[in-house]
Amino acid sequence: MTGDEVGEAGLKTVMPTLTIAMNAIIIQMFHFSAERQAMSPVNFAQIQLQIREMGQLAPRVARERLERVELARRCLAELAEELDALRSRVAQVVQHAPTLRCAVPLDQPLTAHLPPAPQLPLHSLLAADGSQINPNAHDPEPFGVINVGVFIMRPGLGDAPREVVRSRLLCQEALYNRRGHLLSEEVVALRRDLSERQELLELARNQPAPVLTLTDGPLELFREPREDEDFRQPFADYLHVLQELAEAGVMTAGYVDKPRADLVVRLLELTLLPQDALSRAGVDRPLRGVGDTDLFWPLLAPGERTAVFAIQSGLSNRFTDRLALHFFYLNVGSAAHPWLARVEIPAWMAVQPQLLDLLQAALLWQCRQMGGRPYPYALQRAHEVAVVRLEEKQQLEEMILAELRRQGLMVGERSHKQSGKDLLSKRHR
Amino acid sequence: MNSIEIGRLLRANISGCVVGCRVAQINLPAFGAMVRIPLEAGLDIYGLIYDIRIEDDGLVRQLVTTEGISEEVILDNRQNRNVPLEISVLFVGYAVNGEVRHLLPPRPPLTLDAMYPCSADELRRFSAHGRFGYFRHVLRAADLPLGELLAAHLQQAQQVHRAAGAPEWISQATQELITLLRDDYPTLMGVLAAIGECAEG
Repeated sequence: MTGDEVGEAGLKTVMPTLTIAMNAIIIQMFHFSAERQAMSPVNFAQIQLQIREMGQLAPRVARERLERVELARRCLAELAEELDALRSRVAQVVQHAPTLRCAVPLDQPLTAHLPPAPQLPLHSLLAADGSQINPNAHDPEPFGVINVGVFIMRPGLGDAPREVVRSRLLCQEALYNRRGHLLSEEVVALRRDLSERQELLELARNQPAPVLTLTDGPLELFREPREDEDFRQPFADYLHVLQELAEAGVMTAGYVDKPRADLVVRLLELTLLPQDALSRAGVDRPLRGVGDTDLFWPLLAPGERTAVFAIQSGLSNRFTDRLALHFFYLNVGSAAHPWLARVEIPAWMAVQPQLLDLLQAALLWQCRQMGGRPYPYALQRAHEVAVVRLEEKQQLEEMILAELRRQGLMVGERSHKQSGKDLLSKRHR
Repeated sequence: MNSIEIGRLLRANISGCVVGCRVAQINLPAFGAMVRIPLEAGLDIYGLIYDIRIEDDGLVRQLVTTEGISEEVILDNRQNRNVPLEISVLFVGYAVNGEVRHLLPPRPPLTLDAMYPCSADELRRFSAHGRFGYFRHVLRAADLPLGELLAAHLQQAQQVHRAAGAPEWISQATQELITLLRDDYPTLMGVLAAIGECAEG
């Protein structure tokens, strides 16, 4: 037997033992790994497989989407001047599909790209943002808070800007709707939207004109439930405030960063529908996955905006006459990094070119202040002023409980379920 | 007595403290200036400012990349935003009912205690008391820019002593430093060089 053969025989003898030991280690590792996974909120092993599948599909999905983007861009170019035909098409389709949601062109070509005006004759800029604490039935004493921050700038006057914070506590009767249900997150959010606008109205009245008020997100509200009485009255109040702003000549705009809207794309889709399928508008989506920004970013140089479009939708139809909703896209980015924002405005502003110029220049000035991540500085600051953090919620809760105890009242207890969740969140922090 | 508040206490220990104030606050004291923190009745802690730190946050870091940042935005960040300027103070003594002691205070000040700049008279009285016993607190603080701190303090103190008819104070102070640092030649040279620069200036 050679040395090699001796070694090989020895190895054969040792191998089963080694294999058993290795298997034991692997089994232990598996158990340890499974235990670790049980503690984690995500099963990474499962997700990893799905990510791999997604990655394999991604090139085909991207290729198909690119084909639809190219088709949409061709449609845009071909229909750029067909404004009357497009408006007629929308009117025709709405008869078959009344809840149709799309853009409606006004009097400028779809491919219009308008440079900013050179001057900035804006004297007052007010931006509002809000945050909220939603009532939670699991808390010892449910309460809610609507917090609105307003940031006021007076460009060119050399003043330091001003911060205003208005906080409203929702407690006792104010926590419940007429049916005795605790207010939902959606309803509190709607009231917050209304409060933002009300604060802007009150503060804008004392500012030197021209005055621009800004909020984050669209002017159109998407809160549910839309037909509920919890929605109806705040929505009517919201429209009333917009009307008062319009009567006071105070400009109003909703700024949508990284917009995903496809309103213009949906307009183009109407032209691709067969005549006998008009009721399928918005349901059959030949350009699905294509966004308006796909259409406009190649067209808009830095600082340029698109033409103004009206919005056709079931909800937007409640914004009538001077308040009818309109929008345009604006490239607030640079040549190296274009960045499109969608800006919503009411009709009374849409028909005044000098106000559009002013708004465009003001937004560009605001976005420039934020350097490489353009976003209106005043909105950023309003958000910073308004945001309510978890620690503040806890502090407010302690204040409420202390007041109730001072009044000699029994206070409730946190639900066991919530206590358990709090323990978990502390462990994960 | 100058009663303009510089800021309020953020944190402290027995040998020093950090005070926060708004970035745009006027009448900010200079590096090396003497400050006073009044505690309960009759007790005042004295210290020297050895560091002034301007903190940042995410927004400020983003704004610094902006070209042509507007005046309003600069004012907003200096006056409104909650980004304080931090002033670090080294305690060098205290006074009980006006009687100066060059010892560490009996206890540190508490959160949000106010800090004030010392008037010329306070600076003169504190630095003229005894035989420069407070220098040892500065010399013990190894991590500080000793030479620069002493030079800045001596320059400010010299002015008030000279104005009060005691021009010899500065040479006595320098002589005391030479004595205290006679066994630490590198530090002594650094301190004397800084004082020399100060005198030339």
